[in-house]
Amino acid sequence: MFRSTLRGMMSAGFMVAAMATASAQVLEIGADNGPTGLDPHLITAFPSFMVVNGNIYEGLTAVDKDLKIVPSLAQSWIVSEDGKTYTFKLRQGVTFHDGSPMEAADVVASVKRLLSKEMASPLASRLSAVESADAVDAQTVQLKLKEPSAALLSSLSLIAIVPRAMETNKDALQKAPVGTGPFKFQEWQPNGYILLTRNDAYWEKGLPKLSGLKFNIVPESATRQVGLANGQYALLPNIDAATALQLKGRPNVKLAETMDLAYTLIGMNVSKPPFDNPKVREAVNYAINRQEIVDAALFGAGVPGGPLSPALKSWALDVKEFGCYAPDPAKAQALLKEAGVAMPVAVSMKVLPRQDIKDIAQVVQEQMNKAGFKVELINQEQGQFIQDWRNSNFDMFASINAGQPDPDEYFYRTFRTGGSTNVFKYSDQEIDGLLDKARTLSDQAERKKAYDQVQRKLACTGPVAHLTYGTLFSAMNDKLKGYDVMPNRSLMMLRGASY
Amino acid sequence: MSRVLLARLIDLVIVLFGVSIIVFLMIRLIPGDAVAIMLGANTEITPERMAELNRRVGLDRPVIEQYLLWAGSALRGDFGTSLWTGRPVSAEILLHLWPTLELTALSLVLGAALAVPVGCLMAQTRGGAADVAMRIGAIAGLTIPSFWLGIVMILLLSAWAPGFASLGYVPFWEDPIGNLQRMLLPSIALALPILANLSRLVRSAMLDALGQDYVRTARAKGLPERRVVYKHALRNALIPFLTSVGIMTGYLLGGAIVVEQVFAIPGLGRLILGAIAERNYPLIQATILVVTAGFVMVNFLVDFLYMLVDPRVRA
Repeated sequence: MFRSTLRGMMSAGFMVAAMATASAQVLEIGADNGPTGLDPHLITAFPSFMVVNGNIYEGLTAVDKDLKIVPSLAQSWIVSEDGKTYTFKLRQGVTFHDGSPMEAADVVASVKRLLSKEMASPLASRLSAVESADAVDAQTVQLKLKEPSAALLSSLSLIAIVPRAMETNKDALQKAPVGTGPFKFQEWQPNGYILLTRNDAYWEKGLPKLSGLKFNIVPESATRQVGLANGQYALLPNIDAATALQLKGRPNVKLAETMDLAYTLIGMNVSKPPFDNPKVREAVNYAINRQEIVDAALFGAGVPGGPLSPALKSWALDVKEFGCYAPDPAKAQALLKEAGVAMPVAVSMKVLPRQDIKDIAQVVQEQMNKAGFKVELINQEQGQFIQDWRNSNFDMFASINAGQPDPDEYFYRTFRTGGSTNVFKYSDQEIDGLLDKARTLSDQAERKKAYDQVQRKLACTGPVAHLTYGTLFSAMNDKLKGYDVMPNRSLMMLRGASY
Repeated sequence: MSRVLLARLIDLVIVLFGVSIIVFLMIRLIPGDAVAIMLGANTEITPERMAELNRRVGLDRPVIEQYLLWAGSALRGDFGTSLWTGRPVSAEILLHLWPTLELTALSLVLGAALAVPVGCLMAQTRGGAADVAMRIGAIAGLTIPSFWLGIVMILLLSAWAPGFASLGYVPFWEDPIGNLQRMLLPSIALALPILANLSRLVRSAMLDALGQDYVRTARAKGLPERRVVYKHALRNALIPFLTSVGIMTGYLLGGAIVVEQVFAIPGLGRLILGAIAERNYPLIQATILVVTAGFVMVNFLVDFLYMLVDPRVRA
């Protein structure tokens, strides 16, 4: 009894000592939610993505700070002339966290795992164009496509490469992930924290600089802020404008910001009146004053935006190109009269349970009511909202969506007839034709031309009234160096950070 | 006495059985199933993939079949696996149980231990300035919400003692000082309403007891007042106090949910909250059963203590 107590005390002592030395460089992060699983092929929730993407796992490609596609596990690639064969040369000397080398067979197994029916991976549609994956040799992989896919390289940045032994294992990675990234999974205490340690065998020499990352799960915003101010946490990633405003000017706290890829939106159900009429949808756009929303609900930290984020500099059109973005309640009323609907037009709007979205919905309600609508707001619980969204059970909804680096990844599934997230039941032959064509084009200028047309049409009469792109902030201790906020909310820049 | 205890045990089983059915049905009545929430509003998923996922987590079966399968395994001690993480539910509960038990016990001890002398003092100084001040304090303690108090305490402490670790949780056996530091504020936040409630109760029970004949006799015998209060009157005043402590334990579990949220303590409260938001059925079912069992067992214990304190209950 005495001996075991002594042993317990000694090991506790060692643990305390070990934690004390390690904690000097382990970056303490204050996260609002815990991961709901760690298998990169199964997760969809942002808190999971934040932990694994770029930290534990890497793809063949990656997206850099400017949202450009850059090499990652694939050092280079060649695309065949018909755009249907991609040959990737893999990086030499990359190992998984379990010590096994990363080879072509692992890439092939990862693709197969993701596409397998048993996995039922929500990411599978990103690789829907892939017909087969083959290992040419240990360092070369060939992907054959059913049809050209201009968004493939961008999609591959989100497809984690896992060890081939995991191809048939559906459960292990959900609890204990094994990737090639700069940080290794160490421990997960649900609702408490998740701890990653430095991958000493990481392929990029000299990285990572931090000895680990500890994601502390702190659901209360006030608590996270105090934790940052008193030095318990060194980083609060991806915070909203209201929180950033409160932290501004605090001693030892600095803010970093970037344009967010995510956008706030009003969705309309075009399968039933009154939104089956394009004129009514156009009236909604004229009714909305986007700058007012930015000022009133986002504390000025954001910009009005169209179908694509202004962060996508090479794709997005300037909002000045969308005539319906100039607020004009009189024009909205005239359009409603033309549409022949009874005024005021009574509609309901379901609201995602987030404070910023609730604020935005209230502003939109007032603006629309001034322009001939009578909007009833329905505040919903998350589960109910998602269910109604999935079942297209709404007139309108107010929400926020994550954006994508490539237009095809967002447009095709959202606006193509029968698209997987086309919950609006939108169907337009011209849009379908343009989207089908654009994804097969390899010429960037040609693609851009097609997407310009898509944006112009969707902006005013599409099923989505795009509202704003907010500024994305991260608050950190000023000792944290070399960390930038990514527009897609990934924390992969932590590999180069020091503290 | 053993017959009373046996009857209580049978009650316990019936309550747990009833709760298991109610919880099972109620959480399935909430709109938004686990798979829909798992996939969120922002993914690309076809109905076939959704059906596939439903099958994987067993939600494609009729509700009655789901219940029987679950209850059968639960009786064998297997509460299933978390729908999201794939970890055994029992392991997740054990992990989260300890912080909540520690928090509950500390606040209960803190609140109840202080309530007895404070209540006695209030009774002794009845109508005086000290009594009035303490009664006002008690009303404040009852009305101020624990979560608000928690946030204010964190803010004040961060200003006065920035180095004091007040957030999160470390097990006692890993870092005793760190553990107590982190438990201090949440325990006070939770203990305050208990102290307020129980001290008022002790006060009125005490006033009642102090007016009884046996107290007059004790005083007439020339016993010191302290002895009269703490030895003679207190024993009788403790019976309603015990009942309240039992009920308070249930209250504490509710209060703990909010306080755990504020102080980032990974306890049962946060586990339940997260599980409901995720519609993590096996986890919700098992956690609520554990909490119910805890509540019923505390009441069972209180009944047992009654019998020790008051011989009339044993009959």
